[in-house]
Amino acid sequence: MKKPKKSKSARRYPLLDRLVVLRPRLSAFMLDWASWGYVAYGVMYLLNKYWYLRYVNFYGRLTLPAWAWPVVILATFELVMLSHASGQSIGLNLFGLKLLGPDYAPPTMRQRLHRYVALHLKLPFQPLVLFSDRPLGMLLHDGERAGCMFQVARIKDDLPPEKPGRWYLTYRGLCLAGLFGLTFWLGWKITAINLQMLVDRVSKSSHIWHDLFTPSFTYLTESVNERGHLYSITYYMMETIFMAFFATVTGAIVAFPISFLGARNIMGFNAVGWLIYSVMRTLFNALRSIESILMAVLFAVWVGFGNPFAGALALFLHTIAALGKLYSEQVEAVDPGPLEAIAATGARRWQVVIYGVIPQIIPSYLAFTLYRWDINIRMATVIALVGGGGIGTLLFYFKNEVGRLDDAWNQVGAVIVAIVIIVWILDYISARVREKIG
Amino acid sequence: MMDDLIRIEHLTKIYERGEVLALNDVSFTVKRGEFLVLLGLSGSGKSTLLRCINRLIEPTAGTIIFDGIDVTRASSRQLRQIRRRMAMIFQQFNLVKRSTVLTNVLSGRLGYVSPAASAIHKFSKQDIDMAMADLDRVGIPEQAYKRADELSGGQQQRVGIARALMQQPDLLMADEPVSALDPATSHSVMQHLETMNREDGVTVIASLHFLSLARRYGTKILALKDGEIVFEGLPTEIDEARFMEIYGEEAKEVEVR
Ligand SMILES: Nc1ncnc2c1ncn2[C@@H]1O[C@H](COP(=O)(O)OP(=O)(O)OP(=O)(O)O)[C@@H](O)[C@H]1O
Ligand SMILES: [Mg+2]
Repeated sequence: MKKPKKSKSARRYPLLDRLVVLRPRLSAFMLDWASWGYVAYGVMYLLNKYWYLRYVNFYGRLTLPAWAWPVVILATFELVMLSHASGQSIGLNLFGLKLLGPDYAPPTMRQRLHRYVALHLKLPFQPLVLFSDRPLGMLLHDGERAGCMFQVARIKDDLPPEKPGRWYLTYRGLCLAGLFGLTFWLGWKITAINLQMLVDRVSKSSHIWHDLFTPSFTYLTESVNERGHLYSITYYMMETIFMAFFATVTGAIVAFPISFLGARNIMGFNAVGWLIYSVMRTLFNALRSIESILMAVLFAVWVGFGNPFAGALALFLHTIAALGKLYSEQVEAVDPGPLEAIAATGARRWQVVIYGVIPQIIPSYLAFTLYRWDINIRMATVIALVGGGGIGTLLFYFKNEVGRLDDAWNQVGAVIVAIVIIVWILDYISARVREKIG
Repeated sequence: MMDDLIRIEHLTKIYERGEVLALNDVSFTVKRGEFLVLLGLSGSGKSTLLRCINRLIEPTAGTIIFDGIDVTRASSRQLRQIRRRMAMIFQQFNLVKRSTVLTNVLSGRLGYVSPAASAIHKFSKQDIDMAMADLDRVGIPEQAYKRADELSGGQQQRVGIARALMQQPDLLMADEPVSALDPATSHSVMQHLETMNREDGVTVIASLHFLSLARRYGTKILALKDGEIVFEGLPTEIDEARFMEIYGEEAKEVEVR
């Protein structure tokens, strides 16, 4: 198959096949458009930062006039067409497309120009391609004059072997390096990184540093203010540890059985199994993406601000989602051989789970649970920020008393020391236990 | 016919993924007490055939009659009852590595025991005695409380055989039971299969890679090539020409003694 022949018979390929063929091109187009848009945004942001454009308001924000947006959009669109006509773009590269002549030769300048013009002239009619009767390889103004957009995966056996060059000299390498550089530059500016400031401000903040490093343990065992329901560091330490412990244990107990519902190999390949699997996985992912400190906002409103129950509930819920996902991935990774062997003896499906799956996953379950316990301890120390209870209650209390109490920073220092020590000890213990299991 | 344990008619299996025609209209019967050896190159469909018989994979078309029961039409409950009468052993042994040998052997009994008791790993005294007796029979009684992955390959396959014995099966299917073992161990494992066949009257279907083993243990041979039967007959009927036909022109006979 050197030259795709034009077919006379109308519509030989189903619509779905056309979509499958067209999808990578559409994806490449959208990706390139997005990346050019990103470049445009980055350049405008940086211009604004360095040279204060005409359209900068009082606060230094970029306020383009209304007509500028269509211009930017069209200009980036034009850039995409240019790069696609030249056959060089990140999108084409990533979606495995290559612009070549019909004989697999590199596209000539003429073909590129022809393609560039054709892209413009035929743009309004592109949707019609879904109903055209052209062979699949020739969809979208492919032809002798404009070159062909080949899917590399389909023709790679016929292509002459490429000699490996230096990756950073390829178009893709240059583009990725450019995008990375732009992102780094933008990141530097947007996060207001200023190394000079680090040095300049040392003297101004030195008294705070001094206070922080001379912690005062007045409230180590003594309550701060019983009537205001503020107790001692030890009291809150206990609250923190037990909050994390309770959330981890109950979360793990709930996550254990439902993790099987989120495992592809257990749920089977019928429609019902697939539905349950998808629902569980979506649920895990959705819940997991909400940090427990955000959930704690909700629960603190529900059960009371500063109530450790709120923090425990938030950690519990997040633990279920996080462990549920990790557990079900473990279930999916078990060796299928023994399961097959047990099923072949006439065992029921849940017997296969008990005798085949569970023994295989126990060690990694324990490791994951301990790891989760680490995370929960850390989160429990700061969840008080939103009223979740625990040691953070004191931390944020003293931090807020800075103007009113003379030794506020010393107290903050004491709480931080307590947190660091506890986290360090529990980390060490769980690392040792995990070592033992693994 | 009552002395047919298995009758397979027009069995076809197409793997949707990859669109492979793994079995193409295969029909044959296996008599009670037979030791049938499956031969064929890698990819000829031996494993597929065995797994279709107990429906570890679903056949695309055709029927499988086991002792007068249509396996292909069985409900999941019937299928479990059929499966406990047909044991299977595997090339990779397929033991649960982190469980003890005894638990692995006992799991062969899961089709029979009361579900509630098995949920908490409780087996009757009878079953445990039976498991110990079976381990004794395959020559590794002292390994009962070790973890399965502490055993050598040959020992693991014997655990597999003990697990099969627990089912008190009518049919034993062995998918390349000795491919991962050295020649001496191969023979001892094959001899256990032979004993089951001769003394317990268990019908055996085993896929093997060595013609010498097939000749030594088989009472009948079935050869597959690209999912079709290319030879069916007695072990003595396979000569040089037949061998070439099964394994291709390049093949040379290798012996295991
Ligand atoms: N799960 C699967 N999905 C798709 N194709 C498969 C699958 N399993 C097997 N096949 C294909 O089916 C054909 C028969 O495979 P099968 O495993 O039955 O052969 P075999 O005779 O047991 O080979 P071997 O001696 O290597 O075990 C092969 O072409 C294989 O690639
Ligand atoms: Mg096989």
